[in-house]
Amino acid sequence: MYSRACILDGFRLVCFLLSFRESRNKSNSLLIRRSFNLEDQDRKKVIITLRWTAVIVTSYLILFGKGRVTDLYLSYTLIIVYLLSNVLLTFLPKRWFSNLKLFYPLVLFDTGIVSFGMYLSEKMTTDFYLVFFLIIIFASVSRNFKLLMVIGGITALLYGCLLYSWGLLTGEESSSYTLRIPFIFIMTAFYGYLVQTLTKEKRQALTLSEDKYQGLFENAHDGIVLLRSPQWQIADINREVAKVTGYSKEELIQGEVFDLFIPEELEKVRSYFEGVVEKGEGWADDLSLRKKDGIPLEVDLSTRRIDLGDESFYQMIFRDLTGQRKLEKKIRESKRNLEAIFDGIRDQLSIQTPDYRIFRVNRAVIEKYRITFSGLLGKKCYEAYHQRTLPCETCPVSVTFQTKQPANSIMKIPEDNTTLQIFSYPILDEKGDLLSAIEYMKDITEEQRLQEQLIQSEKLAGIGILASGVAHEINNPLSGIIGMAEVALEEEDAAKNRGYLTDILNCAQRISEIVGGLRSYSRAAKKEELSPVDLNGVLEESLRMVQLASKKTSVEVVKNFKSDEKIRANVGEIQQVFTNLITNAFQAMDGKKGPLILSTRSLKDSVEVKVTDHGMGIPQKYLSQIFDPFFTTKNPGEGTGLGLNIVYRIVTKCEGTIDVESKEQVGTTFTVKFPAWRADA
Amino acid sequence: MKRKILIVDDEEVIRKFLKIHLAKLGFEVKEAADGEQAIEELGKDDFDLLICDILMPKKDGWEVIKEVKSNSKTKHLPVIVLTAKNEDSDMFKGYDLGANYYMTKPFTKAQLLYGLRLMLDENPEEIRMQS
Repeated sequence: MYSRACILDGFRLVCFLLSFRESRNKSNSLLIRRSFNLEDQDRKKVIITLRWTAVIVTSYLILFGKGRVTDLYLSYTLIIVYLLSNVLLTFLPKRWFSNLKLFYPLVLFDTGIVSFGMYLSEKMTTDFYLVFFLIIIFASVSRNFKLLMVIGGITALLYGCLLYSWGLLTGEESSSYTLRIPFIFIMTAFYGYLVQTLTKEKRQALTLSEDKYQGLFENAHDGIVLLRSPQWQIADINREVAKVTGYSKEELIQGEVFDLFIPEELEKVRSYFEGVVEKGEGWADDLSLRKKDGIPLEVDLSTRRIDLGDESFYQMIFRDLTGQRKLEKKIRESKRNLEAIFDGIRDQLSIQTPDYRIFRVNRAVIEKYRITFSGLLGKKCYEAYHQRTLPCETCPVSVTFQTKQPANSIMKIPEDNTTLQIFSYPILDEKGDLLSAIEYMKDITEEQRLQEQLIQSEKLAGIGILASGVAHEINNPLSGIIGMAEVALEEEDAAKNRGYLTDILNCAQRISEIVGGLRSYSRAAKKEELSPVDLNGVLEESLRMVQLASKKTSVEVVKNFKSDEKIRANVGEIQQVFTNLITNAFQAMDGKKGPLILSTRSLKDSVEVKVTDHGMGIPQKYLSQIFDPFFTTKNPGEGTGLGLNIVYRIVTKCEGTIDVESKEQVGTTFTVKFPAWRADA
Repeated sequence: MKRKILIVDDEEVIRKFLKIHLAKLGFEVKEAADGEQAIEELGKDDFDLLICDILMPKKDGWEVIKEVKSNSKTKHLPVIVLTAKNEDSDMFKGYDLGANYYMTKPFTKAQLLYGLRLMLDENPEEIRMQS
């Protein structure tokens, strides 16, 4: 009964195995996978059942084979070991049955047991062994289970026929021989199944990886070309290649990869691929593909060897660089432009986060604070710029941080006595949230000073106009005062009043100078009639006038006139220039002998006049200011501070230049250059 | 014989101190307060020098110079213009009309003496000594 049930079981199993349909169609790979999974569940059952059958058949062979079992104990032991091994298998977890580490020993073990069983049955004729190993060979080379079963069937049948022809299927030993036929068939099924399972296992893994690869291949955003070496034939391309180059898959496949590049670079392309063969991979970004329409396409290219199945390919991946490069170039350019603008602005710019931390400054800041950018980065602006612990009260940046609106203010910086105008502009993100603020600091110290000066000069010009209007009214009584004071000084009893009279005289002189200065000042702005002016003559005349006025005849004067060229100017104005310069020189040499050197010489296009004194000199710190209106180092009342400004204004009006060199306690040289007036000019 | 100088100025103080200075230098000084008086004085006497203001009532200094220089009798009389009009244009006008020296107010005695020296061809050192 049991053996019948077993035979029935075995039959059902064979049917089940035959019903197993394999499909290599990739599109059905999901289905395959599902059937594999289903089989995974049953694999343990199938294997155990198959082994039961094998155990039974082997036991039959041993126990009922004709003749004697040489060693009965050994036979029983073997059968029990085989039985127990199968019992043991039933306790193993299912997942172990998909593990190859179990499979190989199992196959080895079974083959050993069965071979040994055949040996013990004492009917181990050579032909039976041969058939057995033939079955094993068939099973291991077969790829098709169905075909294997057919071969197994035919082999069993042929062997049956052979046994019959030898007359072994009749007689008392017949059962032992007859048993060989199902044994062969069952063994075929057993090995066939094991081998098939292993093969499928491998194939499944391959299919999975192929699927993965296929998905990656087709959907990649880079162009991928599969190449066969060494002919560099195109084996396959992905969609991106077709899209980018404009060629269809059919047009490219079997063609040479070199046709895909622009012909001008053929040599370069060849050497690139030679490099790839040498190293197994290679990268290039200086090659261009040729699109179907002939337009070159700059690409970033990488190629490496890959093994797919049994074949080796080269996989070439490229990315279109044209758009990317252009974009990168544009970004770089616009970045450079912005940086150039940022750094080119001579006022100081600094960008700050809402906690006042500096994260960007322009070159003007670096130069002004004589600090490296890394020294500023991350510092708070009020710490870095103003050495404060809190933001400045009038800081416009804090207003911007609160209102997200531009703001500005004017700050006086006591440390270096400058005035800054500070503008602040917000930098917002797309949502309108404040990211940072640009602080724009403009040093308006000079501007303010000029503005003040301008207001002063405007005022002064007004006074000048007024002064020249009333000069007559003032100068008449002034002449009276001076004249009378001088008369009084000459009186015989003047001695006791000499001091007072001298004071009166000095005061009157001062009024006279101020009125004269204001008048000249207003005149320096006016357009006067121009005529050829002889500089040497003017210098002589000016010197005479100053000498008369200052009464300093003890000063030695050296005249060094080397040019007799004329300049185009107003004689009165030029006289004013040198009167002022010579007056200053005389005053500078108070108590000294001099000499005062007046010199002229001709230059290429100009005439140069130098007035050199050997007086007290001008301190270096005042040199830049001496031409400013109202700048004076004289005591209040002794000078108006207008003299050199008038000089400056007249000289520049005549398109001339004036320079000053001075050394304290050594002397001062004023160098005035006027464009020469030449007949042909 | 003392040389004669005519001072024409509407400002009495100026006439006064000029007279003091010039008298000390040994000149004989006559005064006129306006242009008309000046012409009148010039008609009465011969002078060695005329010191003339410009802005005056009745007849201004320009008129006086013109008349002096157009009169053959007084044509060679040296004329010093002594005025508060100190624009260049005024100076040029004075010289154009025939004035011999142009002085602007205010002035010091030294400047006056310089003008006198130029006009009267005297040794300036001598004049300086006398002052």
